[in-house]
Amino acid sequence: MNTTSRFFTLASAAAIPVFFTGCETTQGVKNPSGVAVTEMRPDEKGFVQGTGVESQDLVSVTDKMARSILGIPEIARAQTKPRVVLEPVVNNTRFPLNKDIFLTRIRTQLNSKAAGRVSFLDREMMKTLERERALKQSGQVTASSDPNVVEFRGADYFLTGKLEGMSTRTSQGTSDYVLYSFRLTDARTSEIVWEDLAEIKKQGLEDAAYR
Amino acid sequence: MTDSRPAPSSRERRPSFVALLALSTAALLMFAGCETVPDRPKRPPVARTGDPIIDGNADLAAAPDKDRVLLEYRLGVTALRLGNFEVAKAKFDDAIARIGGLISGPADAAQRSRGLFTAEREKVFIGEPYERVMAFYYRGLLYWRDGQPDNARACFRSAQLLDSDAESDTYKSDYVLLDYLDGLASAKLAGDGSDALARAQKLTKTPLPPYDPEANVLCFVEFGRGPRKYAAGENGELLRFRTEPSRIRSATLTVGEQTVNFLPWDNLNFQAVTRGGRVMDHVLGNKAVFKKTTDTIGDVALVGAVVAANNIHQERRRVVTDEKGRRRIVTESDKSDGAETAAIALGIVGILSKLAAAATQTHADVRMWDNLPQALSFGALRLAPGDQAALLQFYDGNGQAVPDLARRFTLAVADSVKDTVVILSELKR
Repeated sequence: MNTTSRFFTLASAAAIPVFFTGCETTQGVKNPSGVAVTEMRPDEKGFVQGTGVESQDLVSVTDKMARSILGIPEIARAQTKPRVVLEPVVNNTRFPLNKDIFLTRIRTQLNSKAAGRVSFLDREMMKTLERERALKQSGQVTASSDPNVVEFRGADYFLTGKLEGMSTRTSQGTSDYVLYSFRLTDARTSEIVWEDLAEIKKQGLEDAAYR
Repeated sequence: MTDSRPAPSSRERRPSFVALLALSTAALLMFAGCETVPDRPKRPPVARTGDPIIDGNADLAAAPDKDRVLLEYRLGVTALRLGNFEVAKAKFDDAIARIGGLISGPADAAQRSRGLFTAEREKVFIGEPYERVMAFYYRGLLYWRDGQPDNARACFRSAQLLDSDAESDTYKSDYVLLDYLDGLASAKLAGDGSDALARAQKLTKTPLPPYDPEANVLCFVEFGRGPRKYAAGENGELLRFRTEPSRIRSATLTVGEQTVNFLPWDNLNFQAVTRGGRVMDHVLGNKAVFKKTTDTIGDVALVGAVVAANNIHQERRRVVTDEKGRRRIVTESDKSDGAETAAIALGIVGILSKLAAAATQTHADVRMWDNLPQALSFGALRLAPGDQAALLQFYDGNGQAVPDLARRFTLAVADSVKDTVVILSELKR
């Protein structure tokens, strides 16, 4: 084989695989066919995570709070079923979030697991309820009891909470600590009859491409 | 002595030309094959309607996933300026969720973008810190507008935190407005905002107004064009910002007898250029060094290959005498196997080096949120509920009002417990 032929052979041999690689239209595209939907448990760490408040935190915190509330004497050994009103949670962290979701989950956990040992008053519905009562009082709609008798229940306890945060960000990464505290306050005496907390700290570092 | 060998043909005597031809052909083929950014599947062209929201959503639907956050940033602020707050919220929420899931989210794309043969622009865009800060800032304004000052405060805190890893301590978390609004939200929530106010005051020489928890109209004014990114350096490996001072230097809002002055509290040009170097700059710098080195090696090797190829056949002339005693000059050609091997080896090394150099992607990612303002300002008013006639004016560097930017509008003050949030921009979209 003469020199020219060798050059052609070698160069062509090297060029062909690379040339065909360039013909691959989805080169560099990860999962070109997509990724099938993955169903996960809400208390499970997903494959997309940040250092913020996530579903697994919500589940673990609210589960802990619901169990804790049920154990206190004011609920466990109450002579009459205590009536609880939920007050909005205060978010003092750096994470914008739907605050109601914490109390909603605690309430549903208590309602489903407390077997009627505690009842919640639906203050979110007050405007609707008052309008309905007014309609009954005016005789525009029927009433099964005397609409002029006040039957809206008063609260025995208020359940509320606070989310506090502490965050650090350096070249080493981001660190977020969130303190979840919830308390039950006696509506008559203002005494805090129960309080509990949960703490979650997360740290992470973005890829160097984002630093 | 008679030289009976036939003289080498002209074709054999000039292998360097043929070798170069072969090398060039191979190089062309290989460079074509080494295109690291494949053509994306063709998408149908987006039909323009003239409505920025519809067009923006169409662009978003047609865009690759890596550009999604960028387009959401742009569309979010456009929607905000057009008063389409639901669209703005949706866009910023999605963008912020993607930023929030970043640590374990699109890391593969990011990892690839650090590779020699993948451009930085191939990573999922989340923006430089000043861009991410603005996403949280705008979302914070929208939360406040919805009567959720605590979530707004959370956004301002996240935004300030994003700026806390600047290279120089002087420029860490130095957005005046973010600290000020953090404190104002606390004050509105019956908390203590004095620490945040003190922090904000430390960041500026301009005296900041004390918090007025009774002020029910919060005005956020912005003007000027924000920083523009460009790639500098021999191989475009340096991310730089083009910053032009805004023609507009201040603004006023007049409602009835009250006039609020808006001077710049924060300047995004300043924020963009005071971050210091990025880790990615170092990565790109290494890529540039690799590109330059391999390119030089390729040059040297190819030149060497040509020289060696020229020496494969060496011509030698000598005088010979035939049987009849006549003398004549004959030319002989000797083939050097060593030169041939060297030519081939150097040729391959040269091609591979040039190939590697050509395929190395050094350019800094210059995708940018291009409808950001330059200056941010704030003022609060106490106004009675109902519609109020308002006049917004912008002023140039000489303090002269710019007539074509003056705007009269009706300020609708909400009759509820939540604050009325007004977002006013010199930029239309």
